[in-house]
Amino acid sequence: MGMETEPETARAAAVPDSLAGRLADGDPKAPKALVERHHAEIYRYALAMLRDPTAAEDAVQSSFERAFGALGRYPEERLRNLALRAWLYRITLNVVRNLIRDGRREVAVAEIPEGPSARSRTTSSPEDHSEVWLDAVAALGRLSERQRVAVALRYLADLPYAEIAEVTGWPENTAKTLVRRGVGRLRALMLVNDDREDA
Amino acid sequence: MNEGPRDLHDDRVATLLREATEKMSPRGYPARLVERALVTSTDRFVVVGSPLGKLYVGAGPRGVRLVRRGGSAEEFAREYRRRFGRLLAQSDDARTCKLAEEVARAFAGEKAQVPLDLSETTPFQRRVLEVVGSIPRGEVRPYLWVAREAGSAGASRAVGTVMANNPVPLLVPCHRVVRNDGTTGGYAFGAEQKVRLLELEGVPTKEIARTPYLATPTTGIVCHATCRNARRIRPENRQHFRTAADAVEAGYRPCEVCRPVTIRDAG
Repeated sequence: MGMETEPETARAAAVPDSLAGRLADGDPKAPKALVERHHAEIYRYALAMLRDPTAAEDAVQSSFERAFGALGRYPEERLRNLALRAWLYRITLNVVRNLIRDGRREVAVAEIPEGPSARSRTTSSPEDHSEVWLDAVAALGRLSERQRVAVALRYLADLPYAEIAEVTGWPENTAKTLVRRGVGRLRALMLVNDDREDA
Repeated sequence: MNEGPRDLHDDRVATLLREATEKMSPRGYPARLVERALVTSTDRFVVVGSPLGKLYVGAGPRGVRLVRRGGSAEEFAREYRRRFGRLLAQSDDARTCKLAEEVARAFAGEKAQVPLDLSETTPFQRRVLEVVGSIPRGEVRPYLWVAREAGSAGASRAVGTVMANNPVPLLVPCHRVVRNDGTTGGYAFGAEQKVRLLELEGVPTKEIARTPYLATPTTGIVCHATCRNARRIRPENRQHFRTAADAVEAGYRPCEVCRPVTIRDAG
């Protein structure tokens, strides 16, 4: 699913979005198209960061509430030139960060070993080594917040580094470093898990 | 395929994360959540048939805020966004369908529950619109009456301006407000449409022009000509008046139901 939207992703930063044009023109079908186009990826990002389906749904809801609120108030020209995807991620990042800073979610991060089994009900098919990818997401929860954001944006949201920089405000090289170190740490964490399974 | 470091493409961790992306994609519930995200943070847009043809209707969570005729849906949504700072969105959720049904009923002159949100109007405008909302179907009232009822006696012209800028025509029936001499006067959708609407509602527009007041010697009461009490007066007893003040000078007292203004309007 994430892969299918990739060609569009690569263009999004540079070329004005036609959906932004439709929003500026007042097309009453455009708001629904915006939700349909970005809802799933925003949810994936929020779930990876918060690792709680209900919290992730709430984050998606708040993100769209904020987004639509702003879209109603922006001048027409600003709407027309908006890079919607990166802009939406910027909002979601803030929403998710606030939820984490509220402290409620940080507790869950500390209890990772129980995480995967508790969450496995979110997948309908328990076969095909499903625990392994759940391990990856659980391990993601043990990274520092910055590394987690960087890795989630790069590999779950599939954003190119230029857009990660735009969304987070980090220099592009910082984003690259955070992703590299984050993935390195994930590998280490998951090796530890593998060892445990073998033992 | 992406600009990431080459060594990561074959990395098992990266592959697993991509796989996780697939698995975490919401499959069963997007429709419900899409509606939820949409309905709570945008305003509703519906197109409803009426005696004036199809009308665009925009409604916030508290009620209908704008009704317009003609132009495109896009133009309507842009005007709405400029006025209220909210996006209008088409949706087919239950609440929106219910709203469209009720508005259609109201446009057709049937009993309907259509909440209005007039929070963006001034207190004077709101008082005027509330008074106009109380004029029953089949009846008309002059500007000076609306001004007096709204607590601003003599402000006929200001009432005319409020009518011309009525954000929710038909739902607030500004077409039932006529000139002080009983002629129908102007209308945002065209003077001839106003006559057509009033005739459709059973108002004898020609009959009341120039003589908008009716009195009867049997009770000694003077009414607006379309007041339900005036309509019961037998033809042979009908006394026509140009103003209610004239009728009072002739010895009649004002009806307590339609409360005609008996002081000569300065405005």
